[in-house]
Amino acid sequence: MKTNTNYKESVEQAIANPKLSKALHLFGDAYLIARENAYRGLDFEQMRTELSDIKEEVRLNRKELLAEFIKNAEAAGSKVFLAKNTKEANDYVIKLAKSKDAKLIAKSKSMVSEEAHFNKAVQAHGIRAAETDLGEWIIQLAGQRPSHMVMPAIHMFKEEVAELFSKEAGKTLTPEIKTLVDHARTRLRQEYFDADIGLTGANFLVANTGGIGLVTNEGNARLCATLPKVHVVFASIHKLVRNIEDAIKITRLLPRNATGQLLTSYVTWIKGCVPCDGEQKEQHIVLIDGGREALYESKACRDALKCIQCGACANVCPVYQTVGGHVFGSIYISAIGVILTAFYEGLDKAKDITRACIGCRSCVAVCPSKIDLEEIILHLRNEVTKEYGMGVIKNVAFKAVMKNRGLFHSMVRAASKLQRPVTHKNRKEGEPRIIRHLPLHFLDRDFTEWRDLPSIAPKSFRDQFDTIPQTLFNPDYKVGFFVGCGADFVYPEVGVSLIKVLNSLNVEVVFPKGQNCCGIPALYSGDTETGLDLAKQSVEAFTEAEVDYVLSICPTCTMAVKRDFVDRLADHPQWAAKARELSAKTMDASAFLENVLGASQKLASTTTDQSVTYHDSCHLKRGSNVYKEPRALLKSTGITVKEMKNSDRCCGFGGTYSFLSHPQISKQITADKVSAIEATGVKTVAMDCPGCMIMLKGAVGKANESIRCVHTIELLAEAIDNNKK
Amino acid sequence: MANQHLEQFIEVAKRVGAEVLQLEDLEAAAKYISSVASGTTLVPETPLAVKHNLRSLLAAEDVEVFSGNFREAGHVPAGGVTFCNFCMADSGTVVLESTDESIRLATTLPETHFVIVDPEKILEDNLAAVTPMTQMHTGSDPKFVAYITGPSRTADIERVLTIGCHGPRELHILLVNNVSSDLMEN
Ligand code: SF4
Ligand code: SF4
Repeated sequence: MKTNTNYKESVEQAIANPKLSKALHLFGDAYLIARENAYRGLDFEQMRTELSDIKEEVRLNRKELLAEFIKNAEAAGSKVFLAKNTKEANDYVIKLAKSKDAKLIAKSKSMVSEEAHFNKAVQAHGIRAAETDLGEWIIQLAGQRPSHMVMPAIHMFKEEVAELFSKEAGKTLTPEIKTLVDHARTRLRQEYFDADIGLTGANFLVANTGGIGLVTNEGNARLCATLPKVHVVFASIHKLVRNIEDAIKITRLLPRNATGQLLTSYVTWIKGCVPCDGEQKEQHIVLIDGGREALYESKACRDALKCIQCGACANVCPVYQTVGGHVFGSIYISAIGVILTAFYEGLDKAKDITRACIGCRSCVAVCPSKIDLEEIILHLRNEVTKEYGMGVIKNVAFKAVMKNRGLFHSMVRAASKLQRPVTHKNRKEGEPRIIRHLPLHFLDRDFTEWRDLPSIAPKSFRDQFDTIPQTLFNPDYKVGFFVGCGADFVYPEVGVSLIKVLNSLNVEVVFPKGQNCCGIPALYSGDTETGLDLAKQSVEAFTEAEVDYVLSICPTCTMAVKRDFVDRLADHPQWAAKARELSAKTMDASAFLENVLGASQKLASTTTDQSVTYHDSCHLKRGSNVYKEPRALLKSTGITVKEMKNSDRCCGFGGTYSFLSHPQISKQITADKVSAIEATGVKTVAMDCPGCMIMLKGAVGKANESIRCVHTIELLAEAIDNNKK
Repeated sequence: MANQHLEQFIEVAKRVGAEVLQLEDLEAAAKYISSVASGTTLVPETPLAVKHNLRSLLAAEDVEVFSGNFREAGHVPAGGVTFCNFCMADSGTVVLESTDESIRLATTLPETHFVIVDPEKILEDNLAAVTPMTQMHTGSDPKFVAYITGPSRTADIERVLTIGCHGPRELHILLVNNVSSDLMEN
């Protein structure tokens, strides 16, 4: 695989090569199991909060800690060099090597040396850098860059490795993993003995001892630090920790989160110039800024420096699993790679990959440093849009149309008349028609090839609301319904069902007409201005309505109201308080039913005798931590919930992601979901998100027409109807 | 009194690929090592090794104890025998203060590393190790401390766990009572 000269092409190439994607899926599944076992009996949330706090302290006191580290390291005999950038770092080592007449540097893994293109830099001066980490050696032989931070050669297969090794060794090696590892063991052992300099990275720079910590499995770092006379530590400044205790706490998370190990084979703590062949070793510590200070200064992105490079954000990322690290990343890959690329290599280099994230928040859920990666990526996407624009279609759609509520809604009405829907064969009574042919002719041609697109409902929810009778005497609560575009224009029947369910539990529903789109589609495309405007419209409408709670049946809308409205309006004095107030009383309908009303007790005794599998929407589970509630509600009606594999893996929707920016990646992610659903053998899949419904109804419809996709609220309404009969 | 973490330590260390044996005394340990290692064996002259005459005990069992600079014992000697400072039960880890280069060579180069552990030295977990680790690092003397958990391993080719990449292929933990309970010595 070549480096990305053309991003689009590289995406297509990756998708055309399903072998890698398959391997990454298998790995991702095995990883989740190993990780779960490794954390058994421990409180991950508590541990990662502590780690995040440790790293926050480091950021605040980094100047003092750096000075303390240098003082202690020098006291133990180390020479410390502060490099502003990677070039200065390389130059320092080159000069050192020349002064020793060194010809060979044995290297263990150092990501910042990848960033520095260290091997190439020293080679230009006649110095050979020998990678000794097995994965790094493989990609060095192949002339590539790592595609994963923990397993650099994860994209290669044993046959390819055998070919590389055979070529280097001048003899044929069989593609057996054991044989290949043995060969590397023997071959590289020579390098440690021959090397003039050993170079290692550092996982920790311990301020109060002046020592470093290395977390490894193979044992090459120990050899690199022991055999050669000179030891160079190549490390970036954000690896500082206050003391051994903090470093040890990180070792409790790092291996568990990286590979599901309780501890790696080796954790090595080195301070100063230890004895070496009867003398004292010479140790040089090169501390590299390389854009970190600038990143620390960025309020929106600085949390990225809390990263401990466990690689987990890649392991669980559906985009990474689909296209691999060479496409979704640069030197650093996947979620963290998007951010670091923008800072270390420039926004221009990160432009495409900021848009490649589908926003599923799986990375956020597993990050041991509690970094909100998805939010930072979103921020960067806005920066990219400011810098490079958003594309004509989105510009017209968001700026000219959506901001103007009247225009937006009348255009939708007009569109519903213009489209000529083709009726879906197995359409249930009342289920909206699905179009096979797209009225929006400006989109990609292969657009409807693998999924049907929903048609716009003949009558939107907002046009139906007034006609729905609610006869409640003295209701327990009055709730406002934040309908969201999906339920308003595509699936209004979900809103109708919600009213039925809530009324049956003595809750009155009001619908403030001034509400508009939550703004996420605009925001996720990088259009903050439209996002701000839309937030104001809805805050106004719901503040005036004076309700006890605000409910949504779309978890993305819930997240927008709860989190983004508050953020967007924080600096607008006349809006900030109102936005916070609205945020506090907004929740998903399932959460309200279960946690406020205790509905699973009240719905019990209904007798729906059917099996359902449940798809966890990204924003519901990882945005609002709601996943038990819908299951409890479904079960209370007599439904059997049969779990699918990876029920909380993204469905591939991601709003405009699946329509405009990355339909090909989306397609692959959706295919995984469809097969997980099919494998349950169940004929109904329930979910709590109109976005997922658009995606899954469309794709399942093409793949297997007998499977029904339905919102949880609709099933509850049906159960209530059954009961009345 | 039996160490309350002993059982967990044995179980976890085995799970991560170490051989673990409970032996009567150092003579029995020497016999065992002799039965497993054939070839050049590196035995650093640490305070505990000297105190317990480890080299002589091994030589008496016909172990080929290497005398001289360990750098000249070949690229891959057959064995290395050391004591340890302390262990951590929750991860099955042995900890060796290895500032003395001979300890580092004896634990990185050989095919098999034998480590003699007094069960008294088993701590609950790595949090319990914070105190002795901090103690070891006080002052400005150069220091090299190694945590060792099972044999060397890699998963770099097709994510398949493979033992014996660059460090010892085998780690044998020999539990022997009354060797030392001082966490600062090995
Ligand atoms: S939010 Fe989802 S798609 Fe985006 S980087 Fe994280 S895991 Fe990948
Ligand atoms: S961002 Fe978090 S999950 Fe990703 S590599 Fe860094 S620490 Fe691990």
